[in-house]
Amino acid sequence: MPINFSSGVKPIFCPGCGDFGVYAALTKAFQDLGLDKDMLLVVTGIGCSSSIVQALGCYGIHSLHGRLLPVATGARLANHDLTVVGVGGDGDGYGIGSAHFLHTARRNIDIAYVVMNNQTYGLTTGQTSPTGQKGYKTKSTPFGNIENPINPLAIAISAGATYVARGFSGDPVHLAGLIKDGIAHKGFALIDVFSPCVTFNHMNTYDWFRERVYKMDGHDVADKGAALKKAFEEEETGYAKLPLGLFYRAEKPTYEEQDITLRSGALIGQPMPTKEQVLAMLQENV
Amino acid sequence: MTSVSVRIAAANGDGVESTGAILGRVAANLGLEVVGDRGYQSVIRGGHVWSQVRIGDEKLHDFGDSADILVALNQEAIAHQGSHLSKGAAVIYDPSKTNADQLNGRGYRLIGMPLMDMALAAGGDPKMRNMAALGAVAKILGMPMESFEGVIKRMFSRKGNDIVANNTRAVTEGYGYSGIEKLYDLKYDGKQRYLLEGNVSLAIGAYAAGCKYYAAYPMTPASGILHWFAAHADRGVMYKQTEDEIAAINSAIGAASAGVRAMCGTSGGGFSLMVEALGMAGMIEAPIVVVESQRTGPSTGLPTKTEQGDLLFVMHASQGEFPRIVVAPRGVEECFGIAAEAFNLAERYQCPVIILMDLFLSEHFESVSGIDPGTIKIDRGKMVARASQEGRFKRYLLTDDGVSPRSLPGSKGLAFIASSDEHNEYGDIVSDVLAGIDEHVEMRKRMHEKRMRKIETMLKNETLFVPSIEGESSEHFIVTFGSTTAAARGAVERLRRMGKSFGLISFSYLMPMDSAKTKMALSGKHLIDVECNFTGQLAKVIAMNTGVMIEDKVLKYDGEAITSGEIVDRVLKVLER
Ligand SMILES: Cc1ncc(C[n+]2csc(CCOP(=O)(O)OP(=O)(O)O)c2C)c(N)n1
Ligand code: SF4
Repeated sequence: MPINFSSGVKPIFCPGCGDFGVYAALTKAFQDLGLDKDMLLVVTGIGCSSSIVQALGCYGIHSLHGRLLPVATGARLANHDLTVVGVGGDGDGYGIGSAHFLHTARRNIDIAYVVMNNQTYGLTTGQTSPTGQKGYKTKSTPFGNIENPINPLAIAISAGATYVARGFSGDPVHLAGLIKDGIAHKGFALIDVFSPCVTFNHMNTYDWFRERVYKMDGHDVADKGAALKKAFEEEETGYAKLPLGLFYRAEKPTYEEQDITLRSGALIGQPMPTKEQVLAMLQENV
Repeated sequence: MTSVSVRIAAANGDGVESTGAILGRVAANLGLEVVGDRGYQSVIRGGHVWSQVRIGDEKLHDFGDSADILVALNQEAIAHQGSHLSKGAAVIYDPSKTNADQLNGRGYRLIGMPLMDMALAAGGDPKMRNMAALGAVAKILGMPMESFEGVIKRMFSRKGNDIVANNTRAVTEGYGYSGIEKLYDLKYDGKQRYLLEGNVSLAIGAYAAGCKYYAAYPMTPASGILHWFAAHADRGVMYKQTEDEIAAINSAIGAASAGVRAMCGTSGGGFSLMVEALGMAGMIEAPIVVVESQRTGPSTGLPTKTEQGDLLFVMHASQGEFPRIVVAPRGVEECFGIAAEAFNLAERYQCPVIILMDLFLSEHFESVSGIDPGTIKIDRGKMVARASQEGRFKRYLLTDDGVSPRSLPGSKGLAFIASSDEHNEYGDIVSDVLAGIDEHVEMRKRMHEKRMRKIETMLKNETLFVPSIEGESSEHFIVTFGSTTAAARGAVERLRRMGKSFGLISFSYLMPMDSAKTKMALSGKHLIDVECNFTGQLAKVIAMNTGVMIEDKVLKYDGEAITSGEIVDRVLKVLER
């Protein structure tokens, strides 16, 4: 019987919110991987999307807006026998938490990071976000957004993420596969998900996405140049074509594999120092 | 008691720091007491730097008001250091490089030595002038030449045998110089002492307590801690250099939540960035230790100078209310024990513990003989490893003492969500859609009360949250905290020798404060507040907690560490008023 990953608490999303699809895909990925609930830690930030952790029955930290990656990093370095998954919104990860996004990717820490990208700040009732498109009218951009949206996939590839994918919450089965492979992947995995905010984003709606998304076929995921080209396709086509699937994957040593302290096993399992070891540390200062 | 202050002054990059450290280590090895400090600027080379090492045959309280021996390695040293000399001080310099005329006729003993020639003779590196001068100092202090050999070997062995041999030779050259003689009679017992900086003492204390994770973004004067952890990464402690201080504290919270004893450290600027996460540690009840080593503020301030200006800041940083412990070690030795105990307190009360250091405490060194790792006990607080009942685990159980047993990820059947939003006993949030509904309004109230109850429990169960009193029946008392305590103690001793009735009241633990006991300790006494900031923050904290107002204050905020001599002078002025 598949493990039930629900805590019994229901997700608090608005009816029709794309994040329901992500919830379904996430729990399916956990089930398909046969994860142990007690060895799984999901860390989220703050936003509608981040509240997803409340509905999960594993260990979780519902942390601060933008800070889920450092929290997840600390937990993972403390106990790398845990499966650590980060989940949040686009404002959370690409706005306030953007520095952590870059640096966690560059370290290639073995964390899978799922971002519900709705081009919007949902929880704060609908302002534009770092992925908000030009011309996007919101409460914070009543005359239309004049900033360029960032390209999280290109950023992740450039920064050193070793698994970079994009899914669509309108296709939770496909998405579950991407998340599953991302968790199984050794190293930092970004799974960006188009997840429409039906309440506040009247520009990037389900229909808008459905007209534009397509699943990549025959793309060489080992070719970094090709991956970047694919990542820029949305911009180059004026957002007429939005490729879905795995953009890039590389086998590279993870941070945990290279860290000298972790050669003796997970930090949490390493013994407390003996009196003699402490004395030896003091003795260095004579 | 005999004590001598030796000041070495030169340009940055001239080896001033290592000269001071070698002298200090040799003295500590012989069983002498040592206090040393250095003055430097935020530049890598150039700039005027000095190191002052005070050596004595009884416990010392500070590094000395002025130098009894000055080693002046360049012209600026003569120009800048002339005003820091004791009466009759000896000045060692090289007449072929430096002109000491301006010190003539002022009663100093001017010792012009061919330091450069000696350095060249010893192996050719002119930088070894400092070593030749060190040899002369050793002779003047009556230290045996052999005592230098082991220390030089330990400190320079990584640079190769030649460097060790040349430096030893340079010291020998200086030691054998004919124009000097033994001037001091220091008595030593040969009982070796450690020579520790506050940061190193703190780092080893944390290590002894089983701290395995230290996260930081480099910032003076806390960097000594990261350097220690990084250097010992192959021995069971991890240093994680993060992209900023926000990541440092958040990762420490993640590590602590996963069950590892974790610490982060910074100075005031970095602590400003940590403030939001400090509140999260309070809310999710994560046991973390945060080191804040103060420097002269506000803003970037004087990055290489000291101050005690962040006391009120660390006590009140972050929105809302939550229990926290704030402790300011009173000396290098105390850094060890306080760091070790900080992890017990953090885990026993599941709250952040802030260790408030300052540049002076972090970076000056002292001989230390009282550290006993055998006394360290590890208490990880209330934990559950196995589920005792069916159903979901109540991580935030409403308990009488406010402390709820915690589980760690990996424990079977004890999963929960640690939420920075207000939550119920399971950790489920009662904020977004549930806020304002009667039952959840009640839960918020009870959960907040549960967390805050931990303060009462700390005050009931611990004896730490009161000041120490020395000289109970005195007429006047100096009241101080943290690193200023040692200099204040020295001042009290001097004032007593002058026939004044003086005692000392010093605080290390500052938050929470046992108001009733503290009030009792302070009442009915003439108090003089001594601290290194402009506004008298300790006096404010005392007034807030006890109602006791301290009118007389000695405050210092020029960036330099306070000495006993300065406190005595200024306290005497207060008494004249
Ligand atoms: C430091 C801080 N600043 C601002 C906020 C307010 N805030 C909460 S969620 C959010 C944005 C949410 O957008 P996103 O991360 O994209 O998630 P969504 O709600 O759209 O799923 C903001 C600005 C906060 N909680 N903390
Ligand atoms: S506001 Fe938007 S993102 Fe938030 S739950 Fe509703 S639909 Fe989803």
